[in-house]
Amino acid sequence: MFALIKREIQDHIVYFIGAAVFSAVFIIISFSLISRYDHKELPVFSIGLGVPAATIVIFGICAMGATQMYLDRTRKISALLSTLAVSRNQILLARIITGILVILILFVPLTITAGILVRLFSPPIPMFTGMVFEISVTVYLMAFAIYCIGLQTGWNSSALTPSLGALFLTCIFIPLVLIKGFGVHIVVILVLFIAASLIRTWHTFMKTSL
Amino acid sequence: MDENVIKVENLVKYFDGRCVLDGINLNVPRGCIYGLLGRNGSGKTTIIRILLGLEPPTRGRTFLLEAKSTELSAKLHGRIGYVAEGHNLIQNYKVGRLIKLCKDLSLQWNDEFFNHLIETFRLPADRRVKELSIGMRAQLNLALAMAIDPELLIFDDPTLGLDTVARRQFLELAIELIQQQGRTILFCSHILGDVERIADKIGILAAGKLVVDCPLEELKERVKKLRVIFPEAAPANLHLTEIINQQNQGREMVITVANWNKQKQTALEIFKPSSCTEIPMSLEDMFIECTKPNPEYIES
Repeated sequence: MFALIKREIQDHIVYFIGAAVFSAVFIIISFSLISRYDHKELPVFSIGLGVPAATIVIFGICAMGATQMYLDRTRKISALLSTLAVSRNQILLARIITGILVILILFVPLTITAGILVRLFSPPIPMFTGMVFEISVTVYLMAFAIYCIGLQTGWNSSALTPSLGALFLTCIFIPLVLIKGFGVHIVVILVLFIAASLIRTWHTFMKTSL
Repeated sequence: MDENVIKVENLVKYFDGRCVLDGINLNVPRGCIYGLLGRNGSGKTTIIRILLGLEPPTRGRTFLLEAKSTELSAKLHGRIGYVAEGHNLIQNYKVGRLIKLCKDLSLQWNDEFFNHLIETFRLPADRRVKELSIGMRAQLNLALAMAIDPELLIFDDPTLGLDTVARRQFLELAIELIQQQGRTILFCSHILGDVERIADKIGILAAGKLVVDCPLEELKERVKKLRVIFPEAAPANLHLTEIINQQNQGREMVITVANWNKQKQTALEIFKPSSCTEIPMSLEDMFIECTKPNPEYIES
């Protein structure tokens, strides 16, 4: 299993580096903004910075899932691996673990930074207990859900419809969070979506010709 | 314990409504070298892919090492060596990296034997797989399949792209393996001389059916090609069953018959032929005869 995860990491190292660099840059910019500007100006900068950053992250994570599956299909990686002492379940599991690792590399430093910033600087709105936790859980789940969309798209990317469908689903997540807000409801929706998406990916991957 | 390492039961496979395999039944006993032959597109690779669980069957069941192909565990896969047609290797990997990956994902790895093969084949570890020639890719694939000390080896046209020397090396290696270790080999090839040299049992696929499934020696015994000269024009119909091929030219008739026996000889003698001589047939001749349209079955 470790060899499979190692192979996935090596093959998609660019996403790991990208996630680490993005995270580092975002932390530096956040600290510099908070230290330079007062609370009235901060929301403007936050939106100005947050929207393009979120777009990059969403499409980056979706692209990773899609790339993993697409390269597997075109380079016939699973066709070779599944003739070794490896099952298809293990191949897919290793792939998903790699995706989770990228998400963690991207968001764990950001979560820690957010926690530190909340402690260091008084926030512009009254904070309730666990707000950082709720936001973090939602962001992690949303990222993973988008990654799952990428996995499905990559395996079907020869057709235009699945790609457009994936794009539509990805775009739906942001308004969904804006409407529902952070909390239990959105977490339940995301968990259900992830479960359905993973089952679909697993079923397709297990039944398809390699 | 079932002595059949490979079992295929009533296997049917359709691709886009086209029947590729039509009720195939096949058994390969332990320690046997089975040569599976057929023309391009006859379904050899499809059978292998279904056996390995890479392709789902439309109907029927296949078993490898007593496990259903669709439920082969990682451990069982580790006991099977496979050389794919076209050598399904990860093209953008360096040879060294691919070897390490395969080694890490194997249950057992015979370093000594593998290094011996790599030295024999002179494979460069620092080059990418896609930069290797077809022959070198074949050699790498062979070395990787053999390094795991497999109980069952499945070769889908393994010598494709190899030069004469490398092909001979491979065949000798295969013979050595089977003799010393009693392993089972399923061998598909278009080079019939190779198959004739190493196979114990032969299967020939034609039009989605297994038209021949018997030991090589038995096949040679059972399929006869005869040149028959008649005093007058050769009769159009000899009323013999299991005629694979018949060509008439004036007084001469050349027929290929399956399951040649005394009764068929008697039936032929009714037409009072002036002479009847047997034309020696190689496996290639038999293959050509058997893959012509509508051949009779020569299953054992």
